[in-house]
Amino acid sequence: MTPQAEVVEVRAGWTRRRGRLVAAAMVAPAVLVVCGVYAYPALSTLAYSVSKIDLSPRFRIEGFVWLRNFINQLTDPHFWQATWITIYFGVMLCLLTVVLSFLIALLLNKTFFGRGLLRVTVLLPWAVPPVASGVLWVQMFHAEFGFLNGLIRAFGGEGGIIWLGGSTIALHSVLITEVWRWIPFATLFILAGLQIVPKSVREAAAIDGAGSWRGFRHVTFPLMLPVVVPVVIFLFVWAMKVFDTIFVLTRGGPTRGTTTLNFLTYRQGFVQFDFGNAAATAYLLSALTVVVIAGLGWMLARSRKLAGM
Amino acid sequence: MAALVGTSAGRRLKRVLTYGAAVLVLVVTAFPLYGIILTSIQTEPDIRSVDVAFIPTYIETEHYQRIFDEASGIPVAESMVNSLVVALATAFLTVAIAVPAAYALHRMSVPGRRIILGGFAAIYILPTLLFVLPLFIAVVQLGLYDTYIGLVLPYVAFTLPFMVWIMGSFVRAIPVEVEEMARIDGAGLRQLMFRIIIPLLRPGIFAGLLLGFILAWVEFLTPLLFTSDLSILTVTLGLFRSTMDIAIGQLAAATVITALPVILITAIFQRNISEVVTAGVER
Repeated sequence: MTPQAEVVEVRAGWTRRRGRLVAAAMVAPAVLVVCGVYAYPALSTLAYSVSKIDLSPRFRIEGFVWLRNFINQLTDPHFWQATWITIYFGVMLCLLTVVLSFLIALLLNKTFFGRGLLRVTVLLPWAVPPVASGVLWVQMFHAEFGFLNGLIRAFGGEGGIIWLGGSTIALHSVLITEVWRWIPFATLFILAGLQIVPKSVREAAAIDGAGSWRGFRHVTFPLMLPVVVPVVIFLFVWAMKVFDTIFVLTRGGPTRGTTTLNFLTYRQGFVQFDFGNAAATAYLLSALTVVVIAGLGWMLARSRKLAGM
Repeated sequence: MAALVGTSAGRRLKRVLTYGAAVLVLVVTAFPLYGIILTSIQTEPDIRSVDVAFIPTYIETEHYQRIFDEASGIPVAESMVNSLVVALATAFLTVAIAVPAAYALHRMSVPGRRIILGGFAAIYILPTLLFVLPLFIAVVQLGLYDTYIGLVLPYVAFTLPFMVWIMGSFVRAIPVEVEEMARIDGAGLRQLMFRIIIPLLRPGIFAGLLLGFILAWVEFLTPLLFTSDLSILTVTLGLFRSTMDIAIGQLAAATVITALPVILITAIFQRNISEVVTAGVER
């Protein structure tokens, strides 16, 4: 399954060189679009990040300011607050989603009546557009007549929780919404992985006297790491980009409690129209993401080696 | 059914636990959706009542009629047409660009193949706003603000790297032998593509179209920043705009209407979507 083995030279009917030309022509539109909408803007943003930019009356780069925009960020307590919120949010989203999804996947991997129905239902939150899920959860979280407090009251509790009121609880409410949204994807992915781990391996472990937990801990889990780590990578990348949910639920508040770095970039760019500082923040967020993903990629390579894949 | 009722208490306990867990998962994932549907069919006073009703005693369709009213302020019907046009255009364009690219990248020798594939994956990692800041300036300067093209172009671009990746996993699933046989029979590249590859890729192309449509339908940041006129309102932006309104029932109805197409597509084509994810795992 090496990639080299898959590449087949097109030889019949024309020369090798012409084949390469045709291949290049087939890739060209995709590469052009990507260059136009990613590479060029990314470089522009890099230019913005070291510039003073004027947006009114019209866009103008006023001058080169060296690293001032970056220094602005790195000396701003609000930037660091947003950074910690972003990291906390990312870690919690990965942790909660993976643990819950793993449990659900283990359940769906069993045979029981109604499994098909459950599989479809588990998939549904994924199908809800992020804005719609935001609106829907605003409704769930409503302090007076929301369903969550209603549910708590139905079970005899007080039910007076103001879910979007304080900065800490609001952050966790956003977290609940996002975990709910990402469980379908993670569950599907992990379930597909579970079905690849051959049952015979687990049965062999059971015969060797490994109990349910030990079988999981020493057989299933290490074999599943190459599947779980990509899920974590996807989720973390997603957590770094969360926008719609925060925009609809809290607008980054209360008192900046749900302002992640991505949301801070939006605020600086499209609320304060300060493109220079927004560009610097966007690059700092990119750096954070790349560092974490590189670490996770290293873990993936290691886990693949350990699992013998 | 392999699981017969066991005689031992342990097996029975296990079964009870399985069903208990299944019910719990069902409730947690479905409850918010159930809640919003429930809200959309209740009268405004009942929605605002502190005694939250969990089981409907009547069905009120007024909210659904209201949101399609001309007078409601948010042109919901028009926004659905806009989103439909934009989402269909995005889906077809993205797939049309992604399929040849994916085939060439995985089955032909393209100069810089590794760099292209690596670049496409790396793009996904970076925050969208990194690209959106200059795109906003470009869209305004090119006069694409408040136009269909100003939406479709970024949508296609934002979906493309992911689409090439997914199409790649379908291309790799085609046995090399099939292509070799066709070539031995003297098929040229065009015949190979249209007679062999595209028919074999049909499930993948279909899944890709669904995915492209869904991603465009749910997109929010692009229309938020690149449009402002009501005539080009998309469903997601319309939904957000209606949160400024006070009528919760109408908002709930609008949420259901926005989510419904995507939910239906997902439920009906559950298998195709699972296939895409599974293809990712096997990689």
